[in-house]
Amino acid sequence: MNKKAFAGLFLLIVIGAAAFRLIDLGLRPMHHDEANQALKCGALLERGEYRYDKADHHGPSLYYLSLPFARVLEAGTLAALDEKTLRLVPACFGLGAIFLLLLLVPIIGKERVVWSALGLSVSPVMVYFSRFYIQETLLLFFLAGFIAALWRYHLNPSWGWAAAAGMFAGMMYATKETSVIAFGSIAAALLLTRLMTTKAREKKGTRWAHLFVGVACAVFVSLVLFTSFFQNPRGFFDSILSFRIYFVRAGETGFHVHPWSYYLQTLAFSKPGTGPVWSEALILILAVVGIAASFKLRPDKPERLFLIFVSFYAAISTGAYSLIPYKTPWNVLPFYLGFVLLAGNGATALLRASKSRAVRAAFCLLLAAGFLHLAAQARSAALVYPADPRNPYVYAQTSPGFLQLVQRVEDLAAIHPDRKKMFIKVIAGPYETWPLPWYLRRFGRVGYWTSIDEAGRPGAAAVIITDTEQAGRLESLLNSSFQSEYYELRPNVFLVLHVRGDLWDEYLKSRTGKVNER
Amino acid sequence: MKKTVVFLLGISAFAGILAFARPTPAQEQGKEELKLLLPKPMFIGTPRNINSPNLEKITGKPRGAIFVPAGTKLVSLNKPVTASDMQPVIGEVGFVTDGEKAGEDGYFVEFGPGKQHVQVDLKASQPLQAILVWHYHSQARVYRDVVVQVSDDKDFVSGVTTIFNNDHDNSSGLGIGKDKEYIETFEGKLFDPRGTKARFVRLWSNGNTSNDMNHYVEVEVYATPAK
Repeated sequence: MNKKAFAGLFLLIVIGAAAFRLIDLGLRPMHHDEANQALKCGALLERGEYRYDKADHHGPSLYYLSLPFARVLEAGTLAALDEKTLRLVPACFGLGAIFLLLLLVPIIGKERVVWSALGLSVSPVMVYFSRFYIQETLLLFFLAGFIAALWRYHLNPSWGWAAAAGMFAGMMYATKETSVIAFGSIAAALLLTRLMTTKAREKKGTRWAHLFVGVACAVFVSLVLFTSFFQNPRGFFDSILSFRIYFVRAGETGFHVHPWSYYLQTLAFSKPGTGPVWSEALILILAVVGIAASFKLRPDKPERLFLIFVSFYAAISTGAYSLIPYKTPWNVLPFYLGFVLLAGNGATALLRASKSRAVRAAFCLLLAAGFLHLAAQARSAALVYPADPRNPYVYAQTSPGFLQLVQRVEDLAAIHPDRKKMFIKVIAGPYETWPLPWYLRRFGRVGYWTSIDEAGRPGAAAVIITDTEQAGRLESLLNSSFQSEYYELRPNVFLVLHVRGDLWDEYLKSRTGKVNER
Repeated sequence: MKKTVVFLLGISAFAGILAFARPTPAQEQGKEELKLLLPKPMFIGTPRNINSPNLEKITGKPRGAIFVPAGTKLVSLNKPVTASDMQPVIGEVGFVTDGEKAGEDGYFVEFGPGKQHVQVDLKASQPLQAILVWHYHSQARVYRDVVVQVSDDKDFVSGVTTIFNNDHDNSSGLGIGKDKEYIETFEGKLFDPRGTKARFVRLWSNGNTSNDMNHYVEVEVYATPAK
């Protein structure tokens, strides 16, 4: 493949990937995890406050890396932030991960990079979570950078690549605690690769000074972020202590426990309810071909070592993630990167398998059809079924119907004398409270309680939002002068909005000019 | 003291006699229990018990027996159905009265977004005793602006009786309803037409808490023969 063809194809892939990742980012209601992260980001943006919490919320990189986006888009406060601004962060890092594949050109060649980039750009799971304001896409980006820098160092040992690998590793650690699974998988894959290729070991020795630079960069980057730029020295130690918490959580029973086959099954074939069939089987099959092709490459081929390493990495990390009972669909990304790279090798191997132009053209057409099908699914996942349970990547997602509650509260505030300072009581358990704090961030007087006992009588509250358990306990405090309505927070989870009678009557008048009586 | 005891005993005896004398629903003259064939429940756990003045009471217990005049029978089975959206997104209009009440996929009809209605033609005007509706019960949902009307006029221009209306903000424009919102379950929602004589039953809805679409698994209309 010549330079011009490569540049043209890569540009087309990037344009397509950008379209999937950037169009209509505000379409999906905020997931409760996104809302949580958004408020942490808002506190950092508004007040410069960030302290690493070893029990929850993961690493600090997402919040710090959101700041430039917020400032460029002139969102200086939590209230000024919106879904599009926040989701632009993972979207850009998702796009960035594709650019990072360019670092692999000297290692595996242009053709494999093009196919891998195509896979990364149209994979439905990659697209869907590139539009999700959580840490996973950032982890994917830094992981891609770490692997690329590591192998560029292997090709050409230098201070620069050692430092780059260290920086990427440090950012991985500062992004999410699960980075240790990737580190462990990479270490095991490197070990297995070296065991298989003794010649390589003889050729290149370890340069301890470079190793020191890499480790120092990793520690420095993570130290800076976990300590909130040295304002909270405990943060770094807490990041180490957090492993005990996450280790316990990984084995806990509950909503997030799924069978070992959950990830592979979801990727291979899903058909939730009456929805369409979802499948990334093309990437999985090409990856299997890619693994076989890697081991069949002649030992003198420079790409062989890297592709064998990626094969081991993909197998080990998939096994590790699958064995952990606690599973969420976004955890697919770090190990699926290996599959995407191997699929690039698989596609290349298939096209090189025959010398006949006709056969190669037929393979090319088949692959193009397969990738088009992936692109169509990516579009459906991101734009047609972004919050629909018939999409396998929709997980504990806030229902679109929840936005009707937000709209109702906004409409009520518009006619309330105190406007956005209207007193709102939210009485709900923690799992039923989010993402309300995000959607009510522009209201000045919102109180949060977990039970009626703590919240007391309605008092001056014009609006009370409760979960169904607290709604059932409200009767002794609430009288029929409150109008109550159900709203779906998530499938099978309701919130109840209670509106004080006088405000409700005013609201009806504002809608129709007069209250229509039957 | 003695007089007080005698007085209290007298009151208690009188109350006891009254209590025994008051007929239980099953004993109400000429009434019998409506035998219903319910589909299997599709979800458990939600909703929790709710006892709010403004929402349908949820006790977590079965609905209990429904008593109707003797001779009441199902009159809607396989009767013609029309809809405001005659090209459903999923399923067929005929699903509404086909007698299949299962909550699984393949048993419900999905109509377009916003305000929609279905209308059952019972083929004869007769005293309606019970209307049971299953919108969708594989997931806990609340359907918006549920309005149930009956009439002898197929166009619902004249002689319209509204049996139920929970459109509390008049967003469907059929008038403000004072009935309460309710969560769909496998038991279906029972509407009491109180013997209103009608040939046509029209049911409105305006999306639901999950999405903007309108669904029906089944509508059952029970009536006594017209005299």
